[in-house]
Amino acid sequence: MPEPLLYLKAMGAAALVSALFVLALAGVRRPASAAWLNSACVLGMGLGLAVGCCVLPLRWAWPPANGLDRFLTIAVPAALGIELIAGFQCVPRWAAWFLRMSLATTIPGILLHGSVYLNGSGNDWPLWRVVTALMLSGALLAGVWVLLSWLSRRSPGVSIPLALCLTTQCAGLTVMMAGYIKGGAAAFLLVATLLATTIAVGLIAKRAGSPSIVDAPAILGIGVIGLFSLLFIGLFFGRLSTGGALVLLLAPLLCWATETPLLRHRKPWIVGSLRLVLVAIPLVVVLAVAKRDFDRDMAPLLGKGPASTFRLHRGD
Amino acid sequence: MRRCFSVGVMTLVIGALVVVGGKSVVAADEYAYDLVHSSVSFKARHLDISWIHGRFNEVDGKFSLDRENPSKSTFQLTIKADSVDTANKARDEHLRQPDYFDTKQFPTIEFKSTSTKPVEGGYEVTGDFTMHGKTKKITFVLKGGKEHDFKGTKRVGFSTELSLKRSDFGFDKSAIGPIGDEALILIDCEGVRK
Repeated sequence: MPEPLLYLKAMGAAALVSALFVLALAGVRRPASAAWLNSACVLGMGLGLAVGCCVLPLRWAWPPANGLDRFLTIAVPAALGIELIAGFQCVPRWAAWFLRMSLATTIPGILLHGSVYLNGSGNDWPLWRVVTALMLSGALLAGVWVLLSWLSRRSPGVSIPLALCLTTQCAGLTVMMAGYIKGGAAAFLLVATLLATTIAVGLIAKRAGSPSIVDAPAILGIGVIGLFSLLFIGLFFGRLSTGGALVLLLAPLLCWATETPLLRHRKPWIVGSLRLVLVAIPLVVVLAVAKRDFDRDMAPLLGKGPASTFRLHRGD
Repeated sequence: MRRCFSVGVMTLVIGALVVVGGKSVVAADEYAYDLVHSSVSFKARHLDISWIHGRFNEVDGKFSLDRENPSKSTFQLTIKADSVDTANKARDEHLRQPDYFDTKQFPTIEFKSTSTKPVEGGYEVTGDFTMHGKTKKITFVLKGGKEHDFKGTKRVGFSTELSLKRSDFGFDKSAIGPIGDEALILIDCEGVRK
């Protein structure tokens, strides 16, 4: 059963820890370099997620037994590690992207490990279909990651991580309504840490008067990996539809619409707001469809379907 | 003469060994789970006021019965978790999700006996029960074991009831919700001799 109060508590704890950690580390070294800030973001998000998982509670299990366990114990630490390494100035850009792309192509296989899709017990999934699904998923993840990073370098701003937060929150709700409560709850933690880190970085950038600092690749990296992984496990282990998952994964790319000549040179707050509005449109549609399906599926379980009646006389 | 005698004794000893060995092989009868005349059902509390009943429609298994040395008897059962049926499609779909049986990750529920002891009216069976990726040792009494020859085919029947806590098998306590943690499993199976 979903527990909204517990989710809020866990989100609050995760957000507080992430934001305070980033602000504290940024305060240690003034002015904070982009590399230093990126490392602070990685560690802050890792710590925030860990605290949130303890509050929720989402336990780390080793060996990981299911898709969500593998997301929390392999995918997230791997993404954090890669972003930490990629943030160091001595690491060439090509090496950082090689690590990122390696992760993007292996994550689908990691998430499906030991399931009916890979161990051959699911007769409806022949080998060619599994290989195609893994390759397409990896390519999609890599594509979204590259495009968002490119946009973030081209036109930095908090709107891109905020769009990711918005999408991840909707993904969490949709996965939950598709019958995977724990998967949805994990998305809320991710949103809390991403949002808190983004706000903290935004504050630091404002204080430093350097908006380019906001381009912290770690926030994007963890955000994209998190969004993809949650949608992937919702699709393959839960009942999330392929269409819904695709729309949710690709929605943040609508931020690119503001790069058209007509909108590109508008004020930053207009560009940022436009990005969020554009991303929100498909999200609202996906959420509405998910709610309709949820109500339809849950009606028979909540006694809203046809039922026979009986009268109970107490005391007669 | 002496040679003839020793050859005769050797023949007798080898013959006896072959007979005894052969008898022990014959003594263990192999049976296959008969899906048509068997059922694996369960019930769990709903809101602690009533019971929800369900069954698994796809089950496979085998058992070997050694009447002379019952401790050598073995029992094996494999249930397809995807075949859960509670007479409500929406609920069945819900039960297949990762918060419950997670059937894409854990497609089967399995039992494999490790020791068998004859008791009055059946067998006390201990074995490894694997559900939701977790294996636990359980012991239960299999009642029955009576044989029946039906149209030239030997059949044997057993039944048992066991109680399991879902939280012991890694089911999330918060996802259990209005359905009780404890589930009562009822197995009635008929085996057909191979």
